Amino acid sequence: MEFISKIIIMAVSAIFINNFVLSRFLGLCPYLGVSKKLDSAFGMGMAVIFVMSLASAFTWIINQYILIPAGIEYLRTIAFILTIASLVQFVEMFIQKSAPALYKSLGVYLPLITTNCAVLGVAVINIGDKLNFIESILNGFFGGLGFTVVLLMMAGIRERLEKAEVPESMQGMPIALIIAGCMALAFLGFSGLKLG
Amino acid sequence: MKVFIHYALVLLIITGLACGILAMVNKQTKPVIEKNQAESENNARSQVIEGAVDFEKQSLKINETKSLDYYIAKDAQANVLGYTFIAIGKGYSGELKTMVGVDPDFKIKKILVIQQTETPGLGANCTKPEFNEKFANLTFNDLKVDKDGGNIKSISGATITTRAITNSIKETLDMLQKNLNQSVKPVQNVQDTLSVQQGVEI
Amino acid sequence: MSAMKELTKGLIKENPIFVLVLGMCPTLAVTSSVINGLGMGLAATFVLVCSNILISMIKDLIPSKIRIPCYIVVIASFVTIIDMVMAAYAADLHKSLGIFIPLIVVNCIILGRAEAFASKNGVLHSALDGVGMGLGFTLALVVIAGIREVLGAGQFLGMNVMPSAYLKQPMLVAILAPGAFVTLGLLMALMNLVKNKK
Repeated sequence: MEFISKIIIMAVSAIFINNFVLSRFLGLCPYLGVSKKLDSAFGMGMAVIFVMSLASAFTWIINQYILIPAGIEYLRTIAFILTIASLVQFVEMFIQKSAPALYKSLGVYLPLITTNCAVLGVAVINIGDKLNFIESILNGFFGGLGFTVVLLMMAGIRERLEKAEVPESMQGMPIALIIAGCMALAFLGFSGLKLG
Repeated sequence: MKVFIHYALVLLIITGLACGILAMVNKQTKPVIEKNQAESENNARSQVIEGAVDFEKQSLKINETKSLDYYIAKDAQANVLGYTFIAIGKGYSGELKTMVGVDPDFKIKKILVIQQTETPGLGANCTKPEFNEKFANLTFNDLKVDKDGGNIKSISGATITTRAITNSIKETLDMLQKNLNQSVKPVQNVQDTLSVQQGVEI
Repeated sequence: MSAMKELTKGLIKENPIFVLVLGMCPTLAVTSSVINGLGMGLAATFVLVCSNILISMIKDLIPSKIRIPCYIVVIASFVTIIDMVMAAYAADLHKSLGIFIPLIVVNCIILGRAEAFASKNGVLHSALDGVGMGLGFTLALVVIAGIREVLGAGQFLGMNVMPSAYLKQPMLVAILAPGAFVTLGLLMALMNLVKNKK
């Protein structure tokens, strides 16, 4: 029972209180770039959740069983980013074979998950917060989920916004940023949530 | 096949060179980083126990996997002024490390937050003197945030930060009190003595 | 393009933040104070210039298919170097910038310039491109941070610049997350306004 409540606390924390996009500022490039349509946003979100969870697992193992024992923690950045790059490569090949339609709709955004700071970010956060193996994977999973939640919200808003009259200089990136600001303001309300 | 070997070789050479160069830079910078860390901690220790010229490092074994490092603070006449320890808690966004100085009766003299990554303007105000003053002269039983029924007023908008610091101090103080009250004579360990006045490096 | 043009294009015309819209994550995260924005900007410029130079030097030795992983190793190495150097010689700044130092690796500006420019141009031009883009990035960071720090904390570079009445109750939201998004959005809208008027 305590385990389940621990998981719920982690989930609420990663999705709402310390949302990866609106609170930690990670994953912003896809958040602002891929959020124009709901279906591509959904596909991107799923891919990011998958990659973030796997990346958390692999980077934790590499840190624990290779970097620390050999005393080469300073090689962490290189090791992590290479792990993530290879992981994304494999995910790309996997999606290409198993879901070609999704692969087509994601287009160039799939390899861009490598440079999605949320993936490298969560790997570094897991180490910094001294999480264990299971906690790291969960952090990656819920972090990705939080990213997907706000991505979908943003896509929904932007689809509606296409029918509204936005002033010329605000069109595109500026209005997206203002919307993000409003969402961040709303999510700020979660920061006082008492857990556990 | 030959192409793949070529690719792997290029990647291997580049990565190998990179690791080599980084190893060299690491060798240069690691001692500096460690020295900075030791100096800033020593500085913090002197700030939480005024008048101390000597800090003797001790290590308490709490259980099989955990041990607590603390320092015995002494003045110029070798009188024990109190103890210092670092309380570690989980804040809103990351680890919170607080240097705590207590007198020989385990009453808090002063605290200093030495590591935090909290929200600027809110939780980050825990480094300000107005926050530290709340903890002066408190004993173990006083360590409770107002929202939990105690007297320590939380920073507005940063209850989580305040609570994390308060509870981490309480926990660590508890460990120290319990174990020291078993009259364990601290072993004189000359190598670990840090002399603040002369700035001797170990 | 002349050498001078390579240098200056990154400052305004092709400013990485306002025009190319790259490097969003650090932009919003480290601009809560000017010193952080400046520190990040200079650190990223160091990595950008070094990686541009090195990649331009070895571009003919790298097979096209594995160029991205190779660029990543080069960039990650320089990031690790600046990380260690900052931890040793600028410890306070290193602590404030936190995880955003290793995140310079995935700063799309650096990989973007390596792919778009350094892999196709000579060493001198790549270096100048790096300097220009890096300084443009730093300039944008300082402008955004300046607005946020003055409004949100009443300070600039840690020095009080607003009257004491303001300092008691500054517009805190400016240095929090929403303030970051809104400040950048409004600045971009302003730049669009100026561009469209021309």
